[in-house]
Amino acid sequence: MKNCVWCQRPVTSGVTLAAMWRWAPLPSPNLCAVCQKRLRPLHAPQCPRCGRQQSTTKVCHDCERWGDSWVNHAIFPYDATLKAYMQQYKFQGDYRLRLVMQPYLRQALAQERYDVLVPIPVTAETWLTRGFNQVTGWLTDQPFQQVLTVDAARKPRPQSSKTRQERLQSPQPFSLQPGATKLLRNQHVLLLDDVYTTGRTLRHAATQIYLGGAKAVTSLTLAR
Amino acid sequence: MEKSQLFGRRLPLEQAPASGHGIPALRQVNGRWRCQRCQQWVATTDYLPQQIPYCRHCLNLGRLTAHTKLYTIPEPNQFATLTESPLNWPGQLSPIQLAAAQAVKRYTMAGRDQLLWAVTGAGKTEIGFPALAWALQQGWRVAWTSPRVDVCLELAPRLAQAFTVPQTVLYGGQALPYKYCPLTICTTHQLLRFEAAFDWLIVDEVDAFPLATSPLLQLAVKRAQKPTGSHLYLTATPGRDLQRQVQRRQLAVTYLPLRYHGYLLPPIQVRLVGNWRQRLSQPRLPGAILRRLRRYQQTQQRYLLFVPHVADLSPVQHALQHAHLDGGVTVHAADPDRQSKVQAIRDQQVTSLITTTILERGVTFPAVNVVILGGDDAVFSTAALVQMAGRVGRHPDHPGGEVICYCHSQTRAVQRAQRMIRTLNRKGRRLGGRRP
Repeated sequence: MKNCVWCQRPVTSGVTLAAMWRWAPLPSPNLCAVCQKRLRPLHAPQCPRCGRQQSTTKVCHDCERWGDSWVNHAIFPYDATLKAYMQQYKFQGDYRLRLVMQPYLRQALAQERYDVLVPIPVTAETWLTRGFNQVTGWLTDQPFQQVLTVDAARKPRPQSSKTRQERLQSPQPFSLQPGATKLLRNQHVLLLDDVYTTGRTLRHAATQIYLGGAKAVTSLTLAR
Repeated sequence: MEKSQLFGRRLPLEQAPASGHGIPALRQVNGRWRCQRCQQWVATTDYLPQQIPYCRHCLNLGRLTAHTKLYTIPEPNQFATLTESPLNWPGQLSPIQLAAAQAVKRYTMAGRDQLLWAVTGAGKTEIGFPALAWALQQGWRVAWTSPRVDVCLELAPRLAQAFTVPQTVLYGGQALPYKYCPLTICTTHQLLRFEAAFDWLIVDEVDAFPLATSPLLQLAVKRAQKPTGSHLYLTATPGRDLQRQVQRRQLAVTYLPLRYHGYLLPPIQVRLVGNWRQRLSQPRLPGAILRRLRRYQQTQQRYLLFVPHVADLSPVQHALQHAHLDGGVTVHAADPDRQSKVQAIRDQQVTSLITTTILERGVTFPAVNVVILGGDDAVFSTAALVQMAGRVGRHPDHPGGEVICYCHSQTRAVQRAQRMIRTLNRKGRRLGGRRP
């Protein structure tokens, strides 16, 4: 008997006749049915640019203010469930919770078209305290390139602790790793991050990637 | 960081303090990692990327990895000496309560582990007061703990009023920071942060979930107590192993079969109804239940409606609204507004509350009736049923009230609960208990 990785309650996976007939390994979900139900992928109309869930399919106010043609795809709305998840996974540092999102990420990445996958890095200090990069934890066997480094001195506070204005005014924290241009030249790059809030971080990263010679940059985030 | 913060505690710190000794938070025993805070084994899957194990069991208290160290300073009992009793309680114990209180105090002075078995609404808290006053006067460090946060929250202001010593209250998400005090009021989870700290440990509602079923918490209680210390368990419904410990004379016991106002317990009335859950989706509840609740509403009586599962809360509320009844407020364990909602019925602002077993014990609402829906469900143990019934008639001005248990079928747990109340009432009548 297996327990749900999130709520620790036993997972009961009903073995159907169809599943047995398929003669493949039986599915063994990491999540119980209740937790799976709590996680609701984006379903309502979305902003075509950033993927925000809203009442219309028009470009949202935030994207209009940016005035560029950035394209971001998201998997979940950043609601109470996702907040609780990020709190436990990222801020309490429960690395095992990466298993919750791995299947969703795998599915979303399969639908994306890209040449190089670049996850947003964490600072060296975060690496010391948290012990992992929350974004790469979700990747199972997809190849990715860690071409960006983040400068801790220029990022004294985490984005999540700032107001919108402060976020927008934050300086460029990223730089390219040596030899990155060889990987990026004329490639379609997909940036991967956890939460899209104002879009500042991703645009900073994209600026550097374009400097490295990429022909297109889009992004995928877990939540919007 | 002040030195006193570490007295009798076990805390992960980034920098080693000036004094006190540290141990690794995770230790390898026979090739498996074991958390030194909660004493649980780390699963082979719980590793950070560089093969660093971390403990998921006590993650809510802050993550411990193999690189963390836990620091402690042995408890020195550095409190101001008291010349007179710190008890500042204007109330008076009834003769029966007084006899029990003296017995508790006697066992405390002898340093014995003990159990106070008193019916719901007997005034267990106040019976503990004389012994607690004595212990604090001796310069003992005392903790009053409970597995339920509601119990701690209700208790804290009462103890603050009754005792003139510095006190600290600890629970998940508390507003005030920890302070080194002679009297600590906390949930049993918080005891994981202590080590050999308390001379005397009072465990309120010792048979309650999750303490009763959690080896992690039972260990926390054991470890927070000094090797020379003792403990007092308080409960109205001791479980099998506590009763066995009493029989083996490992625990001294004090009985109190009568409520503090001298009235008997309200008996549980069982009413058989059809399969109510099936009709809940329509949304309908059996007419008998609706008629009763409507009568409560017309006569302005408050009631608590207990349902077996969190998932039943909103359908039941919906069904009540459908029947043009005031749906009331629902409360469950993970409710973000739980504390404010419970406070609202305590302040008599709402007339009805639909809830799960989280409010079965430790909370006093003046003048309520109790309606148990699905008392035959497996989640309602005998102890839970007796406790839920015990919410009724706790106030001396309102000693009466009804406990109605709606069941689909009779179960052994329901019958045992009825029998337990009958037995306690028989004992109570011998001490002069009256029917309300």
